[in-house]
Amino acid sequence: MTASSVSVARPRALTFGNVWLSAVILAVLFIYPFVFGKTMNFGISTLLFAGLAMSWNILGGWAGQTSLGHAALLGIGAYTMTLLATPERVPALFGGPVAPWWGTLIGMALAVALAAVWGALTFRLRGSYFTLSTIAVALVIRLVAINSEWTGGSEGLFMPELPRFFGLDLFDRRVEYWLSFAFVVLTLLVTHLIRRSRLGYALQAVREDEDGARALGIDPTRMKLIAFMISAALTALGGALYAIYLQAFEPHTLLELPISVQIALMAIIGGRTSIQGPLIGAVLLATFGEVFRNVFSSANLLIYGVLILLVTLYAPNGIMGLFARGGQKLGTAR
Amino acid sequence: MDQVAVTAFFQTLVQGLLTGGLYALIGTGLSLIFGVMKVINFAHGDFLAIGMFITLALFRTLNIDPYLSLLVAAPVGFALGYAIQRFVLTRLGDRLGEGSMLATLGLGLIISNTLLLGFGAQPQSINVPYAIKTFSFAGVQVSIPLLVAGLGTLVVIAGLNLLLYRTELGRAIRATAQNPLGAELQGVRTANIQAIVFGMGVAFAAIAGVLLMPLLYAFPTVGENYTTKAFIVTVLGGLGNLPGAVVGGLVLGVIESLGAFYVSNNYRDAYGLIAFLLVLLLRPEGLFGKTVKRV
Repeated sequence: MTASSVSVARPRALTFGNVWLSAVILAVLFIYPFVFGKTMNFGISTLLFAGLAMSWNILGGWAGQTSLGHAALLGIGAYTMTLLATPERVPALFGGPVAPWWGTLIGMALAVALAAVWGALTFRLRGSYFTLSTIAVALVIRLVAINSEWTGGSEGLFMPELPRFFGLDLFDRRVEYWLSFAFVVLTLLVTHLIRRSRLGYALQAVREDEDGARALGIDPTRMKLIAFMISAALTALGGALYAIYLQAFEPHTLLELPISVQIALMAIIGGRTSIQGPLIGAVLLATFGEVFRNVFSSANLLIYGVLILLVTLYAPNGIMGLFARGGQKLGTAR
Repeated sequence: MDQVAVTAFFQTLVQGLLTGGLYALIGTGLSLIFGVMKVINFAHGDFLAIGMFITLALFRTLNIDPYLSLLVAAPVGFALGYAIQRFVLTRLGDRLGEGSMLATLGLGLIISNTLLLGFGAQPQSINVPYAIKTFSFAGVQVSIPLLVAGLGTLVVIAGLNLLLYRTELGRAIRATAQNPLGAELQGVRTANIQAIVFGMGVAFAAIAGVLLMPLLYAFPTVGENYTTKAFIVTVLGGLGNLPGAVVGGLVLGVIESLGAFYVSNNYRDAYGLIAFLLVLLLRPEGLFGKTVKRV
């Protein structure tokens, strides 16, 4: 590494990670199914959570608004797609089951609508109020899913027969891997695009100093709202893919607080001010979770607790922040 | 309204007020911590779970009466809270706002998963003869353990008020809440005061756990539900407003009880959440008073 590759002009690095790092990570994920064909389930769920963590990060990292209610958006994507595809549950209005891809788009639209209303009401408030409201909204949606007969109550839903997607069987694990891979590519792409856009600079300004951003003519509420809506759409898309992967799900698997917390922590532990942080955090925590599942059985969230405490105390910019700092030290040492 | 309906109404109301008392105790701890340090404690319910499991463990191993466990649970809670503030939260420095949220979230996960490793996921209860006893007052049946819990809350909150307004320590706590720098300049060791306050908040949660044990099943993630209840109580009363937290607790208990009886028991937890969202959106300063009153 040469000294010139380290930005000296910027005293404080707001974002870490470049396009090359993304390309390397994607290359590794591309090779995965050819090498680890036997552990496809692990690969798919890791990719889905990586995509969800990056979707969360558009609001949680770039706009700096910590949501602990993203399970609600995940659930909306999963439930909408499944309910509309199930002949005996689809509302008469649709005149028959809706193909999963259209159902997913409808789910995404619903999630965006919810985010728009929810954000418009809560972004007026500062501090922890938004976070507290996200928990409450997610819990209300969870209670509705548990108590409504239409959503299958606490028993949940079974995935119906799905039509083929461009001739592909959606229940084939390889197809699911590539769809999840595409989901990760999409979220990564959106994050890269946001970084280079007006929106991205505005969001970083809002995150670092809301009053300062306002003085520059940025409307912080509007910016946060846009970030929330993009984040919601992508999270609902991930939810629909997760539902297909699970094939049967209940409120407990999709709508509980720990799911929201898990998604948020993956992004935060990886590094919320970076582009690839959430991706790295998700892969790392999924691997840790898998290893510790055998040791601690159901107590595998213990490792999340320990890691988040360590990261909060010693690495406020997450694992990517550590790398960036290490890189800078190397650079200046030369 | 006939006699039966009137009795049923009062029955529900009393039930709600007594449960609300417990919520008040949990919310007061959270509000005290927020009022002095501006820290939102996401592990609050997990400290309650610790109180429950201490009671359970003492009962199982030494056959100690649940209420006597208070003598263990309260000091353990205080020591734990003191240590957490002293050795974890103070290290966050100027990142306290966001950092404390994440750190307490992590602590909560560590506590609940450690309990899971130690006690298993199975809900467990203790069998004491008075657990199902009730007494009747003008036709209204009151559960004895619930009444004890309500009275216990009253004693703790009265004690807290005496401490805050009648002692030198209380003056130091109020000074630290109002202006940490000013208090420090007046010779108050604010770091120590903050640790004491966090200890007290955690002790209140642990006490609530002990008082709940004869009434409920204990399981490692029981705290999650109570963290949410504590948030609801605190927001209803106004963040950091102690009398508000007491009224907020009672309001939550009554809303839940009446809603469960007259609307649908399935949505018991939803009524509080909806009230919470409405207050958050319409009156973020809480139901009472225009400005947020601090301790």
